[in-house]
Amino acid sequence: MRYRDKPALQDRLAAEYVLGTLRGRARTRFERWTREDATLRRCVEGWQTRLNSMADAILPVAPPRRVWKAIEAQIGSGATAPVSRADSSRAGERRAGFWESVAFWRATGLVASGMAAALLVAVAVQKPQVVQVPVDRVVEVPIERIIEVESTRMQPAYVAVLRNDAGKIAFLAYANRNSNELWFKRVDMGNPSGDMGYELWGLPTEPGGKPRSLGMIPKGESGTIRLATAADQALGDMPALAITMEPAKGSGGTATGPMIAKGDCQKFW
Amino acid sequence: MEPQQNKELADLLGACARGDRVAFARLYEATSPKLFGVAVRMLRREDLAAEVLQECYVSIWKNAGSYSVGLSAPMTWMTSIVRNRCLDSLRRPRIEVPLARNDESGEDSLAAVPSEELGPLASLQRSNDAKALAACLAQLDGKMRQAIMLAFFEGLSHSELASHMQQPLGTVKTWIRRGLERLKSCLGED
Repeated sequence: MRYRDKPALQDRLAAEYVLGTLRGRARTRFERWTREDATLRRCVEGWQTRLNSMADAILPVAPPRRVWKAIEAQIGSGATAPVSRADSSRAGERRAGFWESVAFWRATGLVASGMAAALLVAVAVQKPQVVQVPVDRVVEVPIERIIEVESTRMQPAYVAVLRNDAGKIAFLAYANRNSNELWFKRVDMGNPSGDMGYELWGLPTEPGGKPRSLGMIPKGESGTIRLATAADQALGDMPALAITMEPAKGSGGTATGPMIAKGDCQKFW
Repeated sequence: MEPQQNKELADLLGACARGDRVAFARLYEATSPKLFGVAVRMLRREDLAAEVLQECYVSIWKNAGSYSVGLSAPMTWMTSIVRNRCLDSLRRPRIEVPLARNDESGEDSLAAVPSEELGPLASLQRSNDAKALAACLAQLDGKMRQAIMLAFFEGLSHSELASHMQQPLGTVKTWIRRGLERLKSCLGED
């Protein structure tokens, strides 16, 4: 190729490639050369280092939120939502309210171990405007869809908030103690691909105790799982819940796949 | 970008290469406003810039493993990905967004277009690299500097530069070539 023994030409092409004035077929051809030629790649990197700091003169612009959502959808589930600068300042104002409410519920002694249950309680019992809890996307789906609020009086129930490895809330669960319907909502979990599915487990207190399968989690943002028995029998002796990835038809009783999320299951009465 | 930021971004890219989605979210948070700014400036349309940004971050996630520490700074690497993708996008015939000319009215777009004056150079003071580059750009002849900055910021081709600057194509090509040579020797690297 003609450019090979001409370092000055190589450097000029690299400079115009980086600047952007090398266009059309010449650009495509040059890109092909750089893939094959390490010396040329170094020329290009040299020019990128020289010229790209010009971009420092451009004022940053916060991209629309949908861009991150689309990226997340494209690279697969499980990524956690970043808080952009613009969003965080707005969310910050509401966040104070949320933390205050957690502190309140903790202080009342209603909740023994943590904000998991407090979150659901706050959402279920308080007035609608207080429901604007800024825990990322918890607020985006009306809570009525997963929790029956028949009156301001609480029904005795089990509540669980499951978090993923990154500590983000992945999954919410709720069941009236006498019902065998467990209501759930995916918060940040997604659906497994192909012929895989997510299975929900109760984790027993005693070490080495056998986890109890509570059923496969149907696809969809929210819905119900039919428990084999009433929640009191199914969950009463299970202080924590977990989700594993299993074949779509279920594990058959013994978890085999990776754990997707885990969290305490609390009695709320 | 200062060394400390470079180190942090390089660490995040390294974590992305190992499949760490939390690191990727942090990387996006730290860098997307700047890269979106670059894309909006080149494409002059936010919807197209958003499309490009999305594709670029998916590509950054997939190719984080091929980023080599030491060859170029993380922001340099990511800026190149975005600028390349913008140039591809500009190459497609469907996009024909006119660049505001300096002699047209419409002050908003006017302000954004590099003129012969230093213009954006004044704000090019944020990192040491940028300071050195700004000093060297300031030493170029006005027309030369304007041609290089229009090409970089607005993604103009030789012929677009010629028409925008109302100069013969050959003249503009010479300005670009000489301008780049002078920048290189001014920056004192080889």
